[in-house]
Formats: sequence, C-alpha cells, structure tokens
Amino acid sequence: MDNTVVNIQNVSKTFKIPHERYSTLKQHALNLFNKNRTYTELNALKNVNFEIKKGEFFGIIGRNGCGKSTLLKIIAKIYSTTTGKVTVDGQISPFIELGVGFNPELTARDNVYLNGALLGLSKKEIDEKFDDIIKFAELEDFVDQRLKNFSSGMQVRLGFSLAIKAYSDILLLDEVLAVGDANFQKKCINVFKELKRQKKTIIFVSHDETNIRRFCDRVALLEQGELVMIGTPQEGLKKYNEILAAAQKWLKAHGEA
Amino acid sequence: MFNKETKKYLGIVRQIAITDFKLKYEGSVLGYLWSLVKPMMLFSILYFVFTQFFKIGNAVPHYPVYLLLGIVMWTFFVEITSMCLGSIVGKGQLIRKVYFPRAILIFANSMTAFLTFSLNLFVVVLFMLFMGVVPTFQGVLLFLLVLVEFSFLVLGLALFLSSLFVKFRDLTHIWEVVLQFMFYATPMIYPLSIVPLKIAKILMLSPLAQIIQDARFALITPQAQTAWQVLGIKYFWIPYTLPFVAFIVGVFVFQKTADKFAEEV
Repeated sequence: MDNTVVNIQNVSKTFKIPHERYSTLKQHALNLFNKNRTYTELNALKNVNFEIKKGEFFGIIGRNGCGKSTLLKIIAKIYSTTTGKVTVDGQISPFIELGVGFNPELTARDNVYLNGALLGLSKKEIDEKFDDIIKFAELEDFVDQRLKNFSSGMQVRLGFSLAIKAYSDILLLDEVLAVGDANFQKKCINVFKELKRQKKTIIFVSHDETNIRRFCDRVALLEQGELVMIGTPQEGLKKYNEILAAAQKWLKAHGEA
Repeated sequence: MFNKETKKYLGIVRQIAITDFKLKYEGSVLGYLWSLVKPMMLFSILYFVFTQFFKIGNAVPHYPVYLLLGIVMWTFFVEITSMCLGSIVGKGQLIRKVYFPRAILIFANSMTAFLTFSLNLFVVVLFMLFMGVVPTFQGVLLFLLVLVEFSFLVLGLALFLSSLFVKFRDLTHIWEVVLQFMFYATPMIYPLSIVPLKIAKILMLSPLAQIIQDARFALITPQAQTAWQVLGIKYFWIPYTLPFVAFIVGVFVFQKTADKFAEEV
C-alpha cells in the first residue's frame, strides 16, 4: 500500500500584481483601450516537489515571505496552483489558521457550531463534542459570552480545541503555539504527543525551533519559493540558520542592519 | 441519496444561514418582523396612490391582491439579488482562510430571502381568502411552475452578480440603478393594460414581468395579461428562456472565477 497522503508535484504559484489596480467597472471601461497594463510577477512558489507520508509530523520552515503560507493554502485548496498539482488522500482540515471563521458578534456557543460545520462536523457530532471542546479550551464560564469580549488567548484556545476535537485525517497548523499561556502550551504539547502516538498526519508551520525539534519527523525548508531541502529537523534547522546568518550578513554589508 | 460531502456542505449552508440570520436580526423576533412588514407598507402606500389619485387600480378585478402579489415577488427579487451580490466579498475573511465550495455562500444567503418570501406568500394567501379569491387547482400548479422558473432566474443572477462584484466594486451602485429602472419597467404597480401595446411588448420581454404576470394570471384573475398573449407565438419564448440562460451563464461565470476568489477578494 502506498502510504503517501499529500503529494505535491511540480507546484508553482505566480501572483500577478498589476501596477495600477482597477477595482471598478468605471476604471475598466476607461482603460479599455489602454493595452499596456503592466504587471509584476511574483513567483511565490517555484516548482516545489515533495510527499508527505501517513502518520508523519511534517514541519515547514523558512524565513518570512518564503512561501510557507502560500504552500499551506494550496494544500488546503484555498488557492489554485499556477502549474503542477497537489493530491490529497483523506479528509484534510480546511483551515490554515485557528479560529478564522470566528465571528466576534456571536457567542462562543454559536461560533463552535459555525466553525464545527466548516470543519465538516454534523450538528449531532458537535452536540456530542461540545462539552469536551469547551472544557479543553477552559471556557466553561464564558460559553454564552460574545467572542468580542474574549482575550486573544481565549479565542486561540477555543480555535485550537475545535481543531483538535473535530479531528480530520490531516491537520494543518500554522504558528499555533505562539499565543496562549504556559499552561495551555503544555496542554497543546500533550495533545501533539497524543496525536503522534495515534499516527495522525500533521503539517506544522512554525518558527519555534524547540517544538520543531521535539515533534517533527521531517522538515521541508523553503527559501524564496524554492524547496531547499527535506531532511531531519536537525539538518533543516542547521541549513535554515545558515540562510538566516547569510541574510544578516548581507544586510550588514549593505548597512541596513 | 446524499453522500458524506453533500451532507457536510448542507451543514455549512445551514450554519452560515442561521448565523447571518442571527446577526442581522440580533435574535429578536421583532427585527425579523420588519422584513415581513416592509412589503405590506409599500403595498399600503401604492394601493392608496393608485386607487385614490390615479384611479388605475379600479379597472383590474381584485386589484389589492393583484398589487400585493406583485410587490411580494418584486421585494423578493430585490432582496435576494442585493443580498447575494455582496455575499462573496462580505465573507472575504473566511474565503481567504478556509476552503469550502464558494457557492455555499450564495445558497446560505438566499435562504433568508426564500424564507421571507414564503412567509410573505402566506400573507398573500390569507389576503386572497379574505377577499374571496379562490384559485383553481391548475392555477396553483401553474404558479408552482412559475416559482421554479423564478428560482432559476434569481439564483443565476445571484451567482453572476456575486462573482462579478469581486472584481467590480461599483457594481452595487449600478445594480441599484438597474433595480430602480426595473421598478418602473415592470408592470408591477400598474396594470399592463394602461400601457400602449407597442411598449407593452417590450416590457413583457423581461422575464421578471412575465413571471409576475403569469403568477397573477394563475392565482388571481385570468384577465392579467400574460407574455404569450402580448407577444404572440413569434416572441413569447424569449422571457421564458432568459431565466435558464441567466442560470447557465451565472453558473459558468461563477465556476470560472471561484478559483481566484481567495486571491482577489
């Protein structure tokens, strides 16, 4: 049995950024005969190839703007590819950020139902998991409060709790541990350990070296839209730090550091 | 009948519809009542104007119900197209971060409008009973067919407008003007019989005019002039075909552009 769950084949993504942005029909009509509209082409991803196996804890690392998020969005089907394709085997979580579907005007309860549906849960399943979700997020006393009165940490806790309980086969996690206090982080780490034990597939984007070392089986390093290497977290982080150091040096040499 | 995916997407449609309903009306019954009262108020004003000042209404049998049915259908048309127009852009935050078939937003947004429409139709029925207007069985059947055609028209327009709005942000203003024009160009407040035949022929090419007149013909009075009477055998198929053309074009444009919503919204 082939146990590849995510297969990324020759994926490139180019964004066309027009120098002048027309956003109304009027502007389009006025510029109908203006043929020399110019674009800047931004190659966010260049011919990226790799596979993720079932049960892997897969890290994606790289500098800001290297294409991590674009890649995650393509895996989640939010963006289409310019060339190449991604095949996914199994239920993938459609989220790339925690709690993005949250509406501040709604109560925590309503938000759980809305987000649960987006995550692919039926109403019955949410009914069953509801108490668990709230308990894990430690929000028992705030269930019927509107989300706008929550602190950002509380919102992330709710988002993470939902993502964990509404478990899909493949989970996408983008910088989840950046918020939340030490206690909650400890809980998350326990969950990660549990997920790893259950052999679930997780794609993890982070800048946090400790957690990448601790959890990831393999990492992919991206730099300016290109896949630099795939390897163990040690190798990946070593190369990553070299790239960072080189960038520092370049900045210093040009007197901007 | 439904597979797992479809069930999941229906669940999303339902939750988004419920959420938007809650947000719009803040969970209060009175808030929602307003959208039911609106067509009734428009009705009272127009009824007063057209029976007291212009005295056109008196020529039509059962003019009050005739007028009310037209207004209810018109209000639905305005509501669903205007609401769906902004449905993709309004949920930009979600679209940029979560994957789901984008058409879900159109269906979720239509649901409130369809609900209001059914409740308003219920009021029309009560009004009909009160006025002693009893449609025939064939009439009710014909009316249901007209509603199917109507649904194709509004959903097609909704898909078309919402995907265009992502690129053309002045579409709201343009659509407002179009609606204003249609308000007068549709024989909704006035009976078609007061319009010269030449102009009536042009007006009845619009599917909305045909739908409203057919609905009146089916439910209220056989004296309501229908498209096939006005246009004759040569042209009567035009307004009947347009809703399906609108639907096909709407689906096509929406599918073509949906891939890029996350980048452009």
